[in-house]
Amino acid sequence: MSSGGCDLDKAIQQLRACRPIPENQVRELCHKARELLIEEGNVVGVDAPVTICGDIHGQFHDLMELFRVGGDVPDTNYLFMGDFVDRGFYSLESFLLLLCLKVRYPDRITLIRGNHESRQITTVYGFYDECLRKYGSANVWRYCCEVFDYLALGALVSGAATSLVPTDGPMAENTNLDNFPDSDADIEIETLNANGEIMYRYARNSDSQSSQPNSNPASSSPIAPTPSRVGPAGTGATSSANGSVKNDTGAILCVHGGLSPLIDTIDKIRLLDRKQEVPHEGAMCDLLWSDPDEIEGWGLSPRGAGFLFGADIVKCFNYKNDLSLIARAHQLVMEGFKEMFESTIVTVWSAPNYCYRCGNVAAILELGEDGSNAGYQRRSNGDQGGGGGGWILGSNDGSSSNMVGNGNDRRLSSVLGDNMQRTRDGPGRRYRVFEAAPQDSRGMPAKKPVADYFL
Amino acid sequence: MSFRNGAPVDTRAPGHEAENSITQNGFKITTQKLPILKAAPIEEMTKQLGITPPEMIFGDNFARVDHVASGWRIEFNAFDALDRVDKTGDSMLKVSYSKEWQQNRQKQFEDIKEVVKPFDWSYSTDYKGSTPDTPKLEPTTKPIPLELLKRPDPILFFDDVVLYEDELADNGIAMLSCKIRVMPARLLLLSRFFMRLDDVVFRIRDTRVFVEFATGEVIREYTAREEKYEVVRKTLAGTKEDVLAIMRDPNRLAEYIPIVEKTTDTVKLK
Repeated sequence: MSSGGCDLDKAIQQLRACRPIPENQVRELCHKARELLIEEGNVVGVDAPVTICGDIHGQFHDLMELFRVGGDVPDTNYLFMGDFVDRGFYSLESFLLLLCLKVRYPDRITLIRGNHESRQITTVYGFYDECLRKYGSANVWRYCCEVFDYLALGALVSGAATSLVPTDGPMAENTNLDNFPDSDADIEIETLNANGEIMYRYARNSDSQSSQPNSNPASSSPIAPTPSRVGPAGTGATSSANGSVKNDTGAILCVHGGLSPLIDTIDKIRLLDRKQEVPHEGAMCDLLWSDPDEIEGWGLSPRGAGFLFGADIVKCFNYKNDLSLIARAHQLVMEGFKEMFESTIVTVWSAPNYCYRCGNVAAILELGEDGSNAGYQRRSNGDQGGGGGGWILGSNDGSSSNMVGNGNDRRLSSVLGDNMQRTRDGPGRRYRVFEAAPQDSRGMPAKKPVADYFL
Repeated sequence: MSFRNGAPVDTRAPGHEAENSITQNGFKITTQKLPILKAAPIEEMTKQLGITPPEMIFGDNFARVDHVASGWRIEFNAFDALDRVDKTGDSMLKVSYSKEWQQNRQKQFEDIKEVVKPFDWSYSTDYKGSTPDTPKLEPTTKPIPLELLKRPDPILFFDDVVLYEDELADNGIAMLSCKIRVMPARLLLLSRFFMRLDDVVFRIRDTRVFVEFATGEVIREYTAREEKYEVVRKTLAGTKEDVLAIMRDPNRLAEYIPIVEKTTDTVKLK
């Protein structure tokens, strides 16, 4: 197979039809992929515009649906945050297709590692068995695992726009237009359905909560309106304490799981030796496994392994590293995405009807390109440990907010003008929400359970 | 359509019909299958339960048998099952590599010691269904008549309803589900909690409800099985079976895991 040649295109074509490619081609592909990935740093630099995707888990037909909704490679620039394999029935085809696309269009698709891209996990959760079943030997699994070891641990998206260019599309059915912001408003969030119809739009700094969540009386939802603290909270951070000044947004860090107490700057991620099986401990393990939670500071998971981190940790990390948002995957969310901690972190989940039975929708996150701030000098990451004298977080009295108050780095505050009491504006975020692809008959569980004489 | 932080709250994947039901000889059998709960109801449930619900929480699902004449019923739902999970952390398990993980961590982060909201995160429950206080099920020695259930009577109604499932952060599986089959003269419901914590332990807790329509007799059998992972693995290694495949299949595992508790009770409905 020659790189970029027609063999690769043939392989892509074959995989798009959900047909595995021969073992010798897999070996060559994996070899090429490794050569490519070894050149990438632990944290890959990605320029907006980019479309960020969460877990795929071998749901091949839903990956096809994702490409239909989000645009094809190379037209759309993609960033996948890991967990390509296990659980679903087509881990092999899904991962090999993504890998082919990576080798074919290396600058248009970024793959980072999830906790399932590991030998140990894939032997238990399906990928190993699938390779054995489809090839009769574990060779292909072995080649893939070697690629896993070279996948980057994170990505840093720069140049994202603070506001969206509103989609010029039709409104989805049931969309309440009364709640829509004015056409000249600064659009922070937009949610579109799989047909590109606008379901929701939120303007930055809009006092009126233009699209008050759950406020639509016509909603068919059986769910009672959420308490006010969860309603507009997700967008609260960016809508408060800010004038009409447009600011450049900080970078967006993408990791599969979350933060680590061993990592306080992005440069520390860059220093890790990643080319190995995912270890059971250490920073690399945490980046792929940890979860945000409604706690203060750091906590231990009740399972006896794994960290949980609270809003203060995220806000401090974002500030210190000049980030406006952390995007991560790893946890199933019914709505396809979930913003937490005043929109400083978001979980993106891209496997609809997970495990073919959860009935959840999936989402992808589009970040636009910043056209208006071309002259702005981006601060390099992690070289100056925060500071920003007088900067106050909502809850910075915890032990972990060690960066507050050294007061010698005023650059952020000069960018922000007089207002130093806030973090960066988040990037404009367009979520495309989609449902599971119509299932075919091959190996899919029947919707109706088959009656059996169980005892 | 309404929204929560930009996420639609009332999306529903296609292919999910809500309720199924059949009435047979004065007994109404109902099952409901809906997608996992959305963020807002999960928060509500978390508050009411006092513990974090499992990752896949089918909070709207249930399987229920109603005796129309007496008003007696037995229902299996996720909330009541989870309400019986230990919420104190007293019977908390640890993942297999926990010791190794913590030894290294505690040296590094002396300040991070607090386990967040301890509870039995394996979601082990001894749930036997929700029933009214009267008429009460009384202990009995009479077993469920298996021979009657082995007959190939036509199955008029069948369903398989998942109530919750958790992947234990990729350390195994915990799953509570309900199967029910209704024949012309009787029905059998099996509610099974299956838990495998990799390299630690297996648990299977079955509740079987048998109803003989003609007599109104209900027999409920609860059987709890438990064994260390290593013991089961060793036993299976001695067979010619596919060890990994069996470890995922509670039907086949049951014979390798000894019974640790069994109770039977009954009620006669008029």
